[in-house]
Amino acid sequence: MLTGIILLAAIIPLTNTKINSNLESYMPDTMLSKINNKKIGEFFGNDETMLLVLENEDVLQPATLKRIQNISESFMMNDAFEQVLSLFQTKNIQSDDGMMVVTPVVENIPEQPAEREALRESIRKNDLAYGLVVSEDFRYAMIMLTTDQQMPDVELMEQIHQIIGKYPGNEKVYMTGQPYLRTEANDKIALDLMVLLPIGLCVMLIFLWISFREFKAMILPFSVVVFSIILAMGLIPALGWELSLIGVLIPIMMIAIANNYGVYFVARYQEINYYHPGRNIAKIVQEVIAYLKKPMILCGLTTIAGVLGLVVHLLIPARQMGVVTSIAIAFALLLSLTYIPALFSIIGKSTKKQYKQVNEGFFHHLLSHVGKLATNSPKRMSIFFIVSFLLLSGGVFKIHVAPDSNKILPEDHGFNRAIRIADEHFGGSKTIDIMFEGDATDPALLKRIDEYSHRLEQNPLVGRTASLSMMIKKISMALHEPGEPGYNEIPEDNFAVSQYLELYGMSADIADFERFISFDYMHTLMTVQYQAASLPDVEGLLQDISEMLKDEPQPYVVGGASLIDKEISQSVEIGQYYSLLFAFLAILILLSIIFKSVTAGVMGSLPLVFAVFCTFGLMGWVGIELNIVTALLSSISIGLGVDFTIQVFWRIKTELMYTDNWQKAIDKAVRGIGRGITINAFSVMIGFSVLFLSAFPFIQSFAFLIIISLFLCLISALALIPALCMILKPKFLNDQRPTSKVKCLTSKV
Amino acid sequence: MKTTIISILIFCAFALTAQNAREISHKYMNATEVGDMEMISTINIYDAKGNVRTRQISTASRKFSESTKMLIRFLAPADVKGTALLVYDYEDQDDSQWIYMPALRKVRRIVSTEKGKNFMGSEFTNADMSRPNQQDFDYQLIGETTLEGRKCWKIKATGKTDALKLQNGFSSNISYIDQQTFLCYKIEYFDMSDKLHRIQYITDYKKQTNGKYFAYRMTMQNVQNNRKSEMIVDKFQSGSKLPENTFSPAMIDKF
Repeated sequence: MLTGIILLAAIIPLTNTKINSNLESYMPDTMLSKINNKKIGEFFGNDETMLLVLENEDVLQPATLKRIQNISESFMMNDAFEQVLSLFQTKNIQSDDGMMVVTPVVENIPEQPAEREALRESIRKNDLAYGLVVSEDFRYAMIMLTTDQQMPDVELMEQIHQIIGKYPGNEKVYMTGQPYLRTEANDKIALDLMVLLPIGLCVMLIFLWISFREFKAMILPFSVVVFSIILAMGLIPALGWELSLIGVLIPIMMIAIANNYGVYFVARYQEINYYHPGRNIAKIVQEVIAYLKKPMILCGLTTIAGVLGLVVHLLIPARQMGVVTSIAIAFALLLSLTYIPALFSIIGKSTKKQYKQVNEGFFHHLLSHVGKLATNSPKRMSIFFIVSFLLLSGGVFKIHVAPDSNKILPEDHGFNRAIRIADEHFGGSKTIDIMFEGDATDPALLKRIDEYSHRLEQNPLVGRTASLSMMIKKISMALHEPGEPGYNEIPEDNFAVSQYLELYGMSADIADFERFISFDYMHTLMTVQYQAASLPDVEGLLQDISEMLKDEPQPYVVGGASLIDKEISQSVEIGQYYSLLFAFLAILILLSIIFKSVTAGVMGSLPLVFAVFCTFGLMGWVGIELNIVTALLSSISIGLGVDFTIQVFWRIKTELMYTDNWQKAIDKAVRGIGRGITINAFSVMIGFSVLFLSAFPFIQSFAFLIIISLFLCLISALALIPALCMILKPKFLNDQRPTSKVKCLTSKV
Repeated sequence: MKTTIISILIFCAFALTAQNAREISHKYMNATEVGDMEMISTINIYDAKGNVRTRQISTASRKFSESTKMLIRFLAPADVKGTALLVYDYEDQDDSQWIYMPALRKVRRIVSTEKGKNFMGSEFTNADMSRPNQQDFDYQLIGETTLEGRKCWKIKATGKTDALKLQNGFSSNISYIDQQTFLCYKIEYFDMSDKLHRIQYITDYKKQTNGKYFAYRMTMQNVQNNRKSEMIVDKFQSGSKLPENTFSPAMIDKF
């Protein structure tokens, strides 16, 4: 009844679920990059840029130019776009027979080869166009669009696709930009949920059937999974949150985790039923609960503690994920201790056939072998783990943090292709903005900005810089003859700068300047266009900028889209450490409390240390980057992996109540609880394996890593922990005599 | 037969309406045709946050045989004081423009193809500053309304071609013309997507000695970016006695 009420309460808000793929919103508003971008936005707007790249052998061919003209003019006619910049809108400021002439780069489409070559030559001389709206090899032409973020992304992208579709041609068209990324990511999040969830549930259902061969043993843990998913997903809108890119993992995590407790219950139920065929269902259920209640609650608590490690993460969706999954895991635990036993009692008993089949199969032989290996050669086993640890974890030093979020989409996606073209042919796809405060017409400031531009352009990562200084110098070239004082120079007094600006306002559009100078002329912006393959590249360039500006007398603010990317990457890295530390400490403390021994805390943490460091090492060796999804790995795998250790400790402790022979007790424990743990681990791994079908490459990487990590946790729990117990014979495992309830349970098993 | 008669009637009604609309618009232009003049005006340019940038300019305009010549000089602020712009507005060819910049003590000819762009960074466009060529527009009487107690016609003017629309910076506009005086008090400008872009309010009409009317205050509100500009006439004189050689590039710095 209570379950029904909770589910109903969770289903209602589900209909209000909103998807949010805006990575910037994943960061708290207190992040420096957001604060700086907001400051810059106050004076220069918060426009977003979309880049369209057209590829042809020669983009100056009449058909290609006509297409660029049609497309760019259609964008200009559409008020969704604030600014449009292509060969047809970019200005050519030149001096012509004593006149300052401001014209579009392409005034007329050249039909004859000679005219075309003349245009090519004129573009080569125009640094407002060459390498900016057309590549130096004339193979690519760029159309830059800015949007004021008023129109919803989906609508905006529809308009762009419609305009491109209206003017077909032989040119390949690629595009990139945040609205495109968000639209594509939103579609893929929805697709992932529609595809992965049903497949995941089906896989889980099949796995439960193969494991238990009993209808109620399959359907009851499965229903707990479904209920927990509903609760977890319902909590997101109920708490006023939106489903993020990371949120795709939540239902899959619930598939993997929420059936754990049910699986332990069923495994133990079948075990007792096998050895006590005459015992009635109520009695068996009672015995199972008496035996499993404590370890299940402890497993649940430790899993929650691990997952709660995400709450201290710097990314907001990671924190939200930590909260909702923790609540849903607690709910699954509660259902496994109340709802499953209640329905088991009502449905009635099964034959012992199911357990026998499994007991004589693969698991039995494998676990017997592992148990013997760990107890007969514990030192060799420990050395094996130490060597493996050293080899695998060495890769940790090779881990790269993703410098941006571009790899959300596949490498061969048009979005990433456009980025590569921008990097290789247009000076870079990333930008850093530097806003200087103070009189923007002050020649001293403009000269310093000019100097900064020159210095930055020496950096191999920087493609180009753009600033008011560049525009003023360009005007000076149209007002003076080459060789004359003032040609290609910033004027000496600010009256002249103001008059240059008025001049431009009268001869062209002063809006051309609004990218660089604020309305009150008290702020000026310098844009640095660059490319970076790694986070250290971005950090290095920012360090150079910081060094360069250390003596700048005017206040300045450094911002730009790539600063957000950089801070997301840093948050991923630092958040990862926080979560890892929190999870380890929480587990260490919990295990110490549970077994009333710090040794238990330390020993229990070893499999997790082994699994986490080896997994990260593997990431380094294989070349998988740390990104917003893979950074969640440690908390999740610690939360899940600790269950195995607790179960093993618990069982060894139980076995030691009846014998002082450690080898016999450990061997029996591995064979006994090993089945439940292995089924559990494989069910979790199979649950996560569904993520291989995700449309997001980094979720596929996550699937690979979490499976590896869980496998390492499993083998550590089944081989390393028994070997260590055999060597150390810790006191916390051998300090109790059996209670009557446990005694009757274990006496025959 | 019946259909044909109805079609002809509709066509006639449409043609009559278009004719009336064009005539009304023509009468408005005629009522405000001041010809030669000299004036001092202040342009206040406001951004969306209410920050203001002010320019004071003097303007002299005279019609000569082949063109109307206009000389604009900045009186304030100090950094652009003395900057002057000379425009030759031809009927049948592109305008010629020269600018004098006191900081450089140089006169430069400038060429602009951007008639639809902002005038001096304000919300007025260069096109708003000159009289429209009626041949470039289709006119339509779309209704009547009362504006501040005045009964007005609503005349819609639509650019005949996309090129003309782009050149003027709007696809169409709706003028509110007083049925008594033929003076226009409000113009709504629509962008290339036919969305309302700017609203111009024209007030403080004063009758001049030649019987024509001149508006002493114009406000242009950009409803899309929330910027606003106003042009206030501080001093106006109908007619100009400035000789033609004053309107020459060689004399631009001496005005």
